[in-house]
Amino acid sequence: MKIDTENILSVSDYLDLVNGKLEELSAKIIGEVGKVTLDAKGHAYFSMRDEKDNSVMSCIMWASKYRMFGIKLEEGMKIIAYGKPNMYKPSGRFSFVTETLEPAGEGELKKKYEELKAKLAKEGLFDESEKRPIPDYVQKIGIITSKQGAVLSDFLSNIGGHGFNIKMIDSRVEGAEAVADLLACINTFKKQDIEVLVIMRGGGSFESLQAFNNELLVREVAGFPVPVIAAIGHDKDVPLISLAADLGVSTPSIVTVALNDSWNKAELHLERFTKGIVSGFESVLTNQKFLINNAINIFTVGFSAVIRSIGQKLDSTEQLVQANNPERQLKRGYSISYVGDKVIRSIKEVKAGDNMNISVSDGIINSQVK
Amino acid sequence: MDTKNLNKNLKRLAEISEWFNGRKDVNLEEDLKIVKEASILIKESREQLKEVENSFEEIKKEIESEKEVK
Repeated sequence: MKIDTENILSVSDYLDLVNGKLEELSAKIIGEVGKVTLDAKGHAYFSMRDEKDNSVMSCIMWASKYRMFGIKLEEGMKIIAYGKPNMYKPSGRFSFVTETLEPAGEGELKKKYEELKAKLAKEGLFDESEKRPIPDYVQKIGIITSKQGAVLSDFLSNIGGHGFNIKMIDSRVEGAEAVADLLACINTFKKQDIEVLVIMRGGGSFESLQAFNNELLVREVAGFPVPVIAAIGHDKDVPLISLAADLGVSTPSIVTVALNDSWNKAELHLERFTKGIVSGFESVLTNQKFLINNAINIFTVGFSAVIRSIGQKLDSTEQLVQANNPERQLKRGYSISYVGDKVIRSIKEVKAGDNMNISVSDGIINSQVK
Repeated sequence: MDTKNLNKNLKRLAEISEWFNGRKDVNLEEDLKIVKEASILIKESREQLKEVENSFEEIKKEIESEKEVK
């Protein structure tokens, strides 16, 4: 870009132009740390030196970023810093504004890893007694992973069809830059309604996995409100996030086994119970049918007998009534004699002169006893 | 099917039978009255019993046909 020198610019305008151009020069720089100063707010001011020709660059890392990476800058340390240059207008000072920080070389990384591992282990972050069991019959699952990688499709093809409600947030998972993304995802999921959180990435080199050894991230996982499963592919050194998680495994398919297990067992039990219930109920039904049929027989036979018995009683009552029907006796030639209202059955019951009424079948004969 | 009436009639007939079996004196008019009452009751009861029996036969037929279907 060529600036038109016909245009005379102010210092501020010129520095704005310069910073605009410097914005395009984001880079990862390797060097040795020189003097380090932390101001009252925690912003880190340091220099980086090129071992080859002793070139020096002033760097600054804002406090929030510096705390995030949990790396204590010390003179002589070899680091890789990612950021972009900037001219600070009030002082005209050139600085490399550092966004991410990581120890350079596997040796340094290993050393930091072992130191942090020992520190966190001492605090009890990895204690087995602190691990929460993965709940049975989980339905709401939160996933943090890269949507580019193979792990997500691996997970989705192995997770069973048990009506899982899966929420996924895409995150970078590679290198130191992934730390900010992963922390943001975890913070988002803290406010979501999930029963288990799964953080996954495929295998990679020790350097590529270093975001999963970040102190802040490890602490977030250890203190997450619901159980966390970390599925980070690795070789020898287990990522610290896997040690802090409630379940640390190395592949997404093992995660699915853990989540499917209780559902699969329940399905098996359900099948068995269903068979038992169905056959049990079938025998109850058969029994009931038998009892009902039996009752029908008893009822029909019994009721028929009742009707017969009432009929027979009516017959015998009729016989009794007819036998006592006075008209019948009178028709046969019998008569009934009265003196007054009294029925006379013996000669002793009358005396001479008594007026006797004799009822015959067709009337009454008036007579007198002599 | 008025089984309440049938029950009432049968009860009265049982009373009449008991009365006939237990009485000592003969009273022509009363006896006649009771005999007439008993005859009516017997006739009615037989009719009512027939109705009950017919309804019962229908129910039995229904139950038997349901049993066959199942």
